[in-house]
Amino acid sequence: MTGLRRFAANRLAVVGAVALLLLVLFAVLGPLVHPTEQVTTDLGAANLPPGADGHPLGTDALGYDNLGRLMVAGRVSLLVGVLAGALATVVGTLWGAVAGYVGGVVDAVMMRVVDAGIAIPAIFLLLVLSTIVRPTVGMMIVVLGLVSWLVPARLIRAEALSVRTRDYVVAARAMGATHSRTVLSHVIPNTVGTVVVNATFQVADAILLVAYISFLGMGVQPPTTDWGAMLNDGISYIYQGAWWLILPPGLAIVIVVCALNFVGDGLRDVVDVRGRAA
Amino acid sequence: MRTTQAGRAMRLAVGAAAAVALLAGCSASSGADESAARTDVNYALPANATPNWIVPLGIAGKLATHNSAIMRTLWEPLVAYDGSEGEVGRVATADLADEITFSDDSRTVTITLDDRTWSDGEPVTSADVAFWFDLVKANTDLWASYSEGRMPDNVTEVATPDEKTVELTFDKVYNPEWLQASQLTLVVPLPSHAWAKAADDDEPDPALAETKDGARAIFDYLVTQSEDLGTYATNPLWQTVNGPYTLTGFTDAGQVELTRNETYDGDDAASIDTVNLLPYTSTDAEVNAVRSGAVDYGYIPTTGLDAPEQYEQLGYTVEPWAGWSITYLPYNFNHPELGPVYRQLYVRQALQHLVDQEQISEVIWKGAALPGYGPVPQNPESDFLSAEQKDNPYPFDPEAATALLADHGWTPGADGVLECTDPGEGDDQCGKDVEQGQKLAITILSQSGSAETDNMFAEIKSTMEQAGVGVTIETAPLNTVLSSIAPCTADQPDCDWELPFFGTAGSWYFGGYPSGERVFGTGAASNFGSYSDETFDQLMHDSTESTDPSVMQEYSRYGAENLPVMWLPNPVYQVSVIKEGLEGTTQDPLASFHPQRWSWAG
Repeated sequence: MTGLRRFAANRLAVVGAVALLLLVLFAVLGPLVHPTEQVTTDLGAANLPPGADGHPLGTDALGYDNLGRLMVAGRVSLLVGVLAGALATVVGTLWGAVAGYVGGVVDAVMMRVVDAGIAIPAIFLLLVLSTIVRPTVGMMIVVLGLVSWLVPARLIRAEALSVRTRDYVVAARAMGATHSRTVLSHVIPNTVGTVVVNATFQVADAILLVAYISFLGMGVQPPTTDWGAMLNDGISYIYQGAWWLILPPGLAIVIVVCALNFVGDGLRDVVDVRGRAA
Repeated sequence: MRTTQAGRAMRLAVGAAAAVALLAGCSASSGADESAARTDVNYALPANATPNWIVPLGIAGKLATHNSAIMRTLWEPLVAYDGSEGEVGRVATADLADEITFSDDSRTVTITLDDRTWSDGEPVTSADVAFWFDLVKANTDLWASYSEGRMPDNVTEVATPDEKTVELTFDKVYNPEWLQASQLTLVVPLPSHAWAKAADDDEPDPALAETKDGARAIFDYLVTQSEDLGTYATNPLWQTVNGPYTLTGFTDAGQVELTRNETYDGDDAASIDTVNLLPYTSTDAEVNAVRSGAVDYGYIPTTGLDAPEQYEQLGYTVEPWAGWSITYLPYNFNHPELGPVYRQLYVRQALQHLVDQEQISEVIWKGAALPGYGPVPQNPESDFLSAEQKDNPYPFDPEAATALLADHGWTPGADGVLECTDPGEGDDQCGKDVEQGQKLAITILSQSGSAETDNMFAEIKSTMEQAGVGVTIETAPLNTVLSSIAPCTADQPDCDWELPFFGTAGSWYFGGYPSGERVFGTGAASNFGSYSDETFDQLMHDSTESTDPSVMQEYSRYGAENLPVMWLPNPVYQVSVIKEGLEGTTQDPLASFHPQRWSWAG
């Protein structure tokens, strides 16, 4: 059974992949189909309900078209999520692979750093940082990546501990391969299954973290927005029945996080040999 | 069998409905009794604005209205002015003065004190008034209400002929209305027998304050103690009060518990035993507490005015709390880079043209803010208001703004932000000290916690950026904003703030007389941006000496045209929600709350 077939056999994973694809298309190509002004405010068109004056999902308190805003917010949420998840995966993989491969005191010191980092809630660090500087998209990617690498580091280190004793690794060393070459060419490639699966969860976590920060009012500067910021803006209108300001970004966050988790499960089926038939 | 199950289900449903009805009935009938039986009130503090000062000698950054309101429940002023009785005027029951008599030449005022005692049984005497003068005169550089030439500079002699009489002699004749409403109201008699010391272990010695060094040492000590928020409820200093309440609880999060002062012997005694002042990080969080019934006297966002019935159904009365105030963004005229830019009147005119006050008031504040174009409060209108201020000399006009900047040598850079490309002092150049290449990119430091404020600045940013003015908006809690904007000079490291906003509930509340010497006067402690204009100073000076309304109107006109600050819509203090049954809640336009006048019906 090929990897693609194993993935396709997981119905939820397929649903997740399709949903993810649709959301990406919605965020990236949507503005071509439904072009809107998302920089300049228009108080004359503020707080319109869905359907009014060519606004399928109404407008917000500053007159931004809510459907268009959902699209541009999706770009930021997905971009930050994917890049921060990738950064966390790269840093965590390298850290964990080196720690697991070298072992001994180096491993102990490196993993205590990880333990110490995990003990501090990422949301706490982010909020403290947000009070010092107002984050830009680039800064959020870097910061989220740098607070999210700890879990993948632990996972990869466990894999590396096992891989380093394998015959091909020993043989490579015996043939004169340097430590860096051994880690990059033999240890990390053999943990790629764990890396890929974990990366999907990292992206989902990063999207949620972006949403948390923005929901607490410490996200990106307006007029830039993301789904969490949209939720934060809409929450003031919750008792006025303005569901169109809250439900769409909330659903978008739920769908993308669920989709990424389903895809991650599917990828796990692909790389996990224990579940395969002989 | 199915019949039996259906029957059981029906019986359960009926039973449950009956139980709910019974409980509802119980709760409904007990609701009225409950309010009558209550002896406490939960009052919501402004969003993201926790109390951080207690001694009634405010220093810069500590003059927030909730700080002042709490102080007034603990220490009564010499002369009290407020609007709690329907109109702004002296409320003799809430102050320590008995009679106030001006001499025939109006140079001297004789004040006799009420026969009152401090909570430790010592009498309130004229020495306590003199003690306040001693402390303030020696610390004008620290006292936040100071304005050169005004209180206490304008008092040449403080005489205490007996324990209950104070005679104040002024350096010249002033407008008695201004004197009583704006100057005597600043005086708060302090317990010299308990506070006249410079260290915890010292024995109080009122004579210590009579020397400048001694007065400075006492002031420093009191300020240091007031900065120690964790000891507010236990510090013996703050237990010596003469107001209707004592402070019995204060948490790090800013929750305050006021308990009725059993020893109070004045005319403004409290009915409510315990008043809890509750802090919230945002309006949304506070509204959730209101909806759960945890708040008796709170507020809602202005969006709630669209459907007040949703709060009325919960047992609240919805009532906007309008203030006698103005709202603005001070320019930091001493900012190292942008100070010279802000000093150009045409720049301030252009920026003012980019603020669409009417739309912001109507759409974002839902009518709970009214446009304000100058230094005199515009709601309600008064004789002090000039026609020029009322008519708005700089209406929303992006084209006029763009033309003003273009005509003075500003052209768009590669990033679209305007740059000075024609430096110099000519009429068509950028102006004095504005350098070649200087960008017109401003930073607004806004108080956080309010969706209306966030939206207002998002709108202003959008409008200004269309005109080529770069805008960055930073947000911080109110206390952080207020503590980071002390008047400064360009060479000081902390002088990097530009345009701070602390006016979600109005930036500045006046006493009975809206003269602006404490906010716009050269060198005034609350003149954060260091605005200085000789003509304006003279107008403020004249307004304190003359009873002619045209003097204040001239001040109003000049302030509206010369733009010492960027004028913004003036919001109500808050849109209040008050639990039914809570009485005595007349909302003071001076933005002070008076819990001693609250009571539960029944």
